[in-house]
Amino acid sequence: MLPVPLPHTLALAAVLFCLGMVGVMVRRNALVVFMCVELMLNAANLTFLAFAQAHGDTTGHVSAFFVIAVAAAEASVGLAIVIAVFRSRGTVNLEELKTMKH
Amino acid sequence: MTLPDLTAADLQPVLPALVLAAGASVLLLSEVFLTTASRSHLALIALGSSVLAGGVALATAFEPAHAVFQGLAVQDPFSSFVTVVVCLGLAGVVLLSADFLKQRQAERGEYYALMLFAAAGMSLLAMSAELITLFINLEVLSVSTYALTAFLRRGPRPAEAAFKYFILGAFSAALFLYGSALLYGVTGTTRLADMVGPLRTAMHTQPWLATCALALVAAGFAFKVAAVPFHMWAPDVYEGAPTPVTALMSAGVKAAAFAGLVRVFLFLGRADPEVVALALSALAVLTMVGGNLLALPQRNVKRMLAYSSIAHAGYLLLGVAALFPHPGTGVLAATPLMLGSPAVNSADAYKGILFYLLAYTVSSVGAFGVLSVLERHADGDGATAWDLDRFSGLAQRRPGWAVAMAAFMLSLAGIPPTVGFMGKLLVFRAAVDSGLLGLAIIGVLASAAGAYYYLRIVVYMFMRPAPAEGVLPEKYWATELALVASAVAVVALGVLPGRVADWLSQSGMFFGTR
Repeated sequence: MLPVPLPHTLALAAVLFCLGMVGVMVRRNALVVFMCVELMLNAANLTFLAFAQAHGDTTGHVSAFFVIAVAAAEASVGLAIVIAVFRSRGTVNLEELKTMKH
Repeated sequence: MTLPDLTAADLQPVLPALVLAAGASVLLLSEVFLTTASRSHLALIALGSSVLAGGVALATAFEPAHAVFQGLAVQDPFSSFVTVVVCLGLAGVVLLSADFLKQRQAERGEYYALMLFAAAGMSLLAMSAELITLFINLEVLSVSTYALTAFLRRGPRPAEAAFKYFILGAFSAALFLYGSALLYGVTGTTRLADMVGPLRTAMHTQPWLATCALALVAAGFAFKVAAVPFHMWAPDVYEGAPTPVTALMSAGVKAAAFAGLVRVFLFLGRADPEVVALALSALAVLTMVGGNLLALPQRNVKRMLAYSSIAHAGYLLLGVAALFPHPGTGVLAATPLMLGSPAVNSADAYKGILFYLLAYTVSSVGAFGVLSVLERHADGDGATAWDLDRFSGLAQRRPGWAVAMAAFMLSLAGIPPTVGFMGKLLVFRAAVDSGLLGLAIIGVLASAAGAYYYLRIVVYMFMRPAPAEGVLPEKYWATELALVASAVAVVALGVLPGRVADWLSQSGMFFGTR
């Protein structure tokens, strides 16, 4: 099996990252925004792995594992917060989160 | 990569963080095994851990800088002093929390445990010298703070604030991480010290990728320190979080994020000092001016303090920008008053940053403390709980609090004889010395504009009649202790800053500056 060339993997990661970034900015459903943030983290992970393969060293592989662990911890707290929002509002639509005004 | 054999001596540099984490574990376990109704011991355990950790950090603060954990982290006076400042802020916040939580029947072990875990993350963040270590510690402190923001989850505000904080925090963490991945790609390492040389080469061979990576890392930090234009989350989050947690955000989180920023850009900035210095200066100007202007029309004092915290991040960014040489070619730096070529005395700049962090920590913990005692008799968590009118006539009803609040406001405004004035003096002097006269003038003008909204609170407290029907807030020893201690610190450090400033001069021994 031929290895995937580095530029291809990097381009895929960059596209995923940009999709996530745009998603955080334009989507209005809290859960979708949350998934977009996870997409950004995974794009960063993919970049780490692509470069680790290109450089032929293990730092990038190790980093990806740490990032996965951190993202899992973050996801658990994030979902708990989404549940708290849903309980107090009955909705996870960000348009309606406007208690605080300038 | 070989795994190191850890000995007790290797763990010594991270002892403050270990003490904090151990205290947090005791608090979590006590919640499981102790079934007593009284919960006042929780605050005492948290207070003891933070004082002990701060003491340990202070004891090691005068050791020469050295790398620990195979270069993944460094211990130098800078990191130790940041830990001391964080522990000081944490101790004040714990004292404020004790009564705040009791009033709301929300005294729980996990609240203090989360605070201690966050502080452990802050202490380790100040020491991290490798991008993944830095990322993990950034997340340790952020995830704890997200949970703390939502701690009083019954009202709609805390949940909403926590959600905004979480999304923007995670977003900034992802920006930082993607930047780190690109930096790893162009340099082949994640250690900051090994990165300088390859990055300098990469600035010529792959300028787009390298610049993109630096910009992403900088944007990630700019979100964390709430620099304009990355500040939009801060006012809502500061307003919605429980007031003691807001105090921790403005004191501890800010100090640690700045420590990380200084550490990263001192190494990475060497690849292209001019661009980094220019970017930092631009952020500093926007943040100083923007923060102060946005704070001016606020009648909600908690929101006003949030914008004020943004403005203070601007002054600190000015101090960080002073770490880099400015050749005097920029529009802002070119002034006829500059004689000769400016020389960077980085020891002065470190001293300025650290003293400013100390000054801001004691002043903001005190200010949020007064806010939290006044908020107590508010019904619910409506925005009126922090309205300016709540301060009317405070001098007649609670003269002690009014005098303390006046001291904190003068300190935040930078008026002598308070610690805030000394902090501004040191930062602005370092900036002028490194050729940033134009920026320092903008900073002084911005802080003069800021004096308006700080002094307005003093005017309300001393010159407005007290509302007739208002119920007097009660006193509680822990809160009183925190307020008295921070008020004394604000004045004492403002009048006699000599000893502490001498200590902080040691922070010139920064790892990697030779």
